[in-house]
Amino acid sequence: MKLSPTSNLSASLEFLLQEISGLRSQWKSPRRLRVDLQAETLPALIELLKGRAGFVHLSAISCVDWPAQNEFELVYHLWSYEVKVLVMAHIRIPRDPGIYLSIYDLYRPAAFFERDIHEMFGLFFEGSPDMGKFILTEWDGPPPMRKEFDGEAWVMNQFDWQDYQPGWLKDIEAKGGGITTRPEDVRRDKPKPWDEQS
Amino acid sequence: MRPENYQSVNHPPSNEFELFFGPNHPGIEGNYALKVRVNGDEVTSARADGGYLHRGFEKLMEGRLWIQNIALVPRICVPDPVPMEVCYSLAIEELGGIEVPERAQWIRVMQLELSRIAAHLFTFGGHAATTGMYTPMFWGIADRDLILDLFEELSGGRVYHIFNIPGGVRRDLPPGYLDRVSKTLDYIESRLPDYDNLLFTNKVFVHRATGVGVLNQEQALEWAVTGPNLRATGLDFDVRRDDPYLVYDQIEFDVPVEQAGDAWARALVRRSELKESLRILRQVVAKLPSVGGPIRAPIPNPLAWNLPAGDVYTRVESSKGELAYYVVSNGGDKPYRVHVRGPSAMHAVQVLENLVTGARIEDVAQIMFSLDACPPEVDR
Repeated sequence: MKLSPTSNLSASLEFLLQEISGLRSQWKSPRRLRVDLQAETLPALIELLKGRAGFVHLSAISCVDWPAQNEFELVYHLWSYEVKVLVMAHIRIPRDPGIYLSIYDLYRPAAFFERDIHEMFGLFFEGSPDMGKFILTEWDGPPPMRKEFDGEAWVMNQFDWQDYQPGWLKDIEAKGGGITTRPEDVRRDKPKPWDEQS
Repeated sequence: MRPENYQSVNHPPSNEFELFFGPNHPGIEGNYALKVRVNGDEVTSARADGGYLHRGFEKLMEGRLWIQNIALVPRICVPDPVPMEVCYSLAIEELGGIEVPERAQWIRVMQLELSRIAAHLFTFGGHAATTGMYTPMFWGIADRDLILDLFEELSGGRVYHIFNIPGGVRRDLPPGYLDRVSKTLDYIESRLPDYDNLLFTNKVFVHRATGVGVLNQEQALEWAVTGPNLRATGLDFDVRRDDPYLVYDQIEFDVPVEQAGDAWARALVRRSELKESLRILRQVVAKLPSVGGPIRAPIPNPLAWNLPAGDVYTRVESSKGELAYYVVSNGGDKPYRVHVRGPSAMHAVQVLENLVTGARIEDVAQIMFSLDACPPEVDR
């Protein structure tokens, strides 16, 4: 069966999706279909949607970290220009070892999203053309978008406050100008004026 | 790359050399780099290098309240900030089940279209400048300033408005505001023939832009190209019309389409879109006085606002293409995860690398600007 915009859309899409075992679908709005499925069956769904239902546009791949369940959730947002529906396919994969298959062979834009997820979450995609760094070129810390990564604590551990007092600034400050707030005054652990008042 | 980490590589003798476009280059909006290998005048390979504007918005948003993030999102795209605010607000409203009053929706449409005109004027100028014509750039930026004046009057901010909040908009229109919008529209409309004479019928520009950076429709779909770049390849698609949000289904407008898919076609699509945006704004100006009612739906105390658990994917048509937010809530007072899908993330990396390969050196900057990529959207 092939989908057409004139047919009863929701029914035919759901009919098509029945071919994937263990799939649950839910219409969130007339143009948004949420699909939950097993990670092993996602390539079959992608192939079915692209090959037989006209979902040629990969809008995005989103990754959500669920440390309590020790899982990553991957969401594939696929849009069809013909039937005008956005399918959001949700899968869950274990955080350890954190490896999944690339869909680059079917959707070229996946390369960007997979590279981004690899960089930010440390999740590796087998078969993706380039897993090299893009945004965080010289970053050697842990993947920053994981929930256990605390950016503020990392900065506090990693960097020292610089006491920036060159000679020319000292001259200005002697006359009452320049930086009026000293680095020790902005430390987080120092009590603030409003703490003392309350 | 930090200079201290740069190590020179001894390449075997060849007549190729490596040329760096950026990270500070007038041929692209913002800090972005393109490393091209050049053989004579021809580009043999290209590699995009982003991250110079990475500020970690997605991580920052996880640590801030739902309402606080409104101040963060417009910074993701400097030339066209309103779609960011609106898209994020739409996501929160859908999660929280908030119905936006009709007047607020019309005010949002007005801002979106004003922002689109401002962004397109900016892009025309930049595109012309990459072909050596600097006058359209000065004109475009001067005319864009009039729209920034309107935004300043409305919201207090010229570039970042922080005006669209979950539930509606912050304030109602000042007295006489629509007249001033109308006058600005008249002025911009009167300027369009000047732009045509200066740029769009200018033989130098036409010859420089025709046949450069050609993208056919099949390639465009394969590489997830959206927005004006996609419409320049002949595909008649616009999120405003085909996946409508706000009150766009009540507004009459055409979706301009070109067939050639080159830099010239992309410029023409933006030129026609400018006219359509003026047409939409005329309808908004005519309609707004008759739409009464509140400008904001009541929302709970935003400092202790727990949105129900769930996830939502909202899309809007920004001046660059399809902008989408994937927002996940776990029932808390802060977003659990926000994923920003900027249209430029596609255009500035894979598409740009492909289009530049095989082009001539003098067209590289023009291809960059004709794709209208916004680097902060790539880096987030």
